[in-house]
Amino acid sequence: MATVSNWIDHLSAAEVQGAVYPGVGTEGILVLVLAVIWIGWHVMADMQETRKSKAIAKKRPGSNDWKSNVTDG
Amino acid sequence: MTDQLSALTTIFTEFYYWITVVLMFLIHVGFCMYEVGASRYKHHQHTLMKNTMLIPLVTVTWFLFGWWIYWAFPTGPGLAPSIMNESAALITDESAFSAAWYVPTSDLMGTNLNDHISGVFWAAFLLFSWTAASIVSGAVIERITTFAFGILAIAIGSVFWTIDAAWGWHFDGWMLKILGYHDAYASGVIHAIAGGFALGVLAVLGPRIGKFSSSGEPRNIGPRNPWLVTIGLFLIYTGFWGFYAACNIPIFDLGPEYGMEGVTFWTATNIYVTPTTLGAITMNFLMSLSGGLLAGYIVAKGDPFWTYSSGLAGVICASAGNDLYHPIQSFVIAMVGVYVAYNLHYWVERKFKIDDAVGAVAVHGYAGVAGLIICGFVLNGYPSSGYSVGAMWVGTDYAPINPLGMFIGAIIMFGVLGFLPGWILAKILQGMGKLRIPREVELAGLDYTILEDAKSDERAVASSSR
Repeated sequence: MATVSNWIDHLSAAEVQGAVYPGVGTEGILVLVLAVIWIGWHVMADMQETRKSKAIAKKRPGSNDWKSNVTDG
Repeated sequence: MTDQLSALTTIFTEFYYWITVVLMFLIHVGFCMYEVGASRYKHHQHTLMKNTMLIPLVTVTWFLFGWWIYWAFPTGPGLAPSIMNESAALITDESAFSAAWYVPTSDLMGTNLNDHISGVFWAAFLLFSWTAASIVSGAVIERITTFAFGILAIAIGSVFWTIDAAWGWHFDGWMLKILGYHDAYASGVIHAIAGGFALGVLAVLGPRIGKFSSSGEPRNIGPRNPWLVTIGLFLIYTGFWGFYAACNIPIFDLGPEYGMEGVTFWTATNIYVTPTTLGAITMNFLMSLSGGLLAGYIVAKGDPFWTYSSGLAGVICASAGNDLYHPIQSFVIAMVGVYVAYNLHYWVERKFKIDDAVGAVAVHGYAGVAGLIICGFVLNGYPSSGYSVGAMWVGTDYAPINPLGMFIGAIIMFGVLGFLPGWILAKILQGMGKLRIPREVELAGLDYTILEDAKSDERAVASSSR
């Protein structure tokens, strides 16, 4: 996985390889992971939000009910 | 980097952009404070989260495709050939500034010892993207779902603004060549487009419950925490200053760049690689801020919310030409922008029942459009690019800055890439039943569940004696 194991050898090479992060060549997999997490987040966040909204809508609190939930003491 | 001069130039440029990114982070801090201050107590936490979550969403999509779009689309495609490869297709070849280097799988999109600049440049543009999305965020508070806003934030932050940046904010952009478009500090490419996009969304989203009386008269829902709004706007001013610096290239030798034999001219340049100075844009930033504040105080009759917003609107209006204006021109242009933005806001509110909770469409959209149009007259005849006299694109030319080109540019920014996509996407989300929160939730407050869940603990703590 390590792209560099000896900086002296790496930097004294005739042509220094620029990319030094672990796993050079696996960028496609990394991008796929990022895309899956991104889309998955939207799906999960939407499910949570919908569930919360439905619960409040079912309860039908009044416009000023929130005030009784605020305690400053 | 094997010689000291190129190392100094490169590392200085890298550090310069890094500083601007940190400064621009304050724009987002400011927007968060401002929005929370403008929202009502029962919506505070949701309002904060909505704006905060655009940071990771736009960042991820900016990495995946936003940055690539900027480098691929300067030609339209199909509207004007690139000065790099003389093709009007998407720029995805092996040329120096091609999008090929900025696909997410590129080894330049990571720790790379041969490239010090791409990462900080990527980050600077990303911060612009957050700003575009955050402008929309304020307008739609207290009734949009977080899901819908997330989609809309990605659309404006990682797609539409970056297309307009490729077209009108890239040295190779077709709008410079055909229209003579000039927008040095983004009156149009960030502010007009974001304002237009917000208006498109608002037209579908509708007003907050209670905003308009049964006879259609608008009611004022003022900021609930004016101190948070104040600090928020001061932070936005500060971040905006960093933004100005980020729109410049700090050190550049224009002689060889323009193909001038034996000429050396080191200078700072704007984003189009035409000369300006950091001193000039600092003077103009402060003079346009002052013009905006003075005009805002008068037109809003001393209302602090509008006076602060007018400072911002003033800078936004003068930004298109603040690389070249005289400070007093900048000052007067800012005043005109504020007058236009303030009056248009209330006219549109009454006429079309648009509930723009923070005046974002006015401050960013109308002031931005006014700034572009004014710039066309004041800078009429200036070159839109230095390359038209150089050797990079022999036989062709860039149009000079002109009133008609800037007017068309304003329509493209506000209408074509702003209002239209915002309206269409909002319609789609509305059709899916995902755009607006249920009426019961809006009445109860978006934070109702959070407050309800904490109620028993809070009461127990409040009544505890030990």
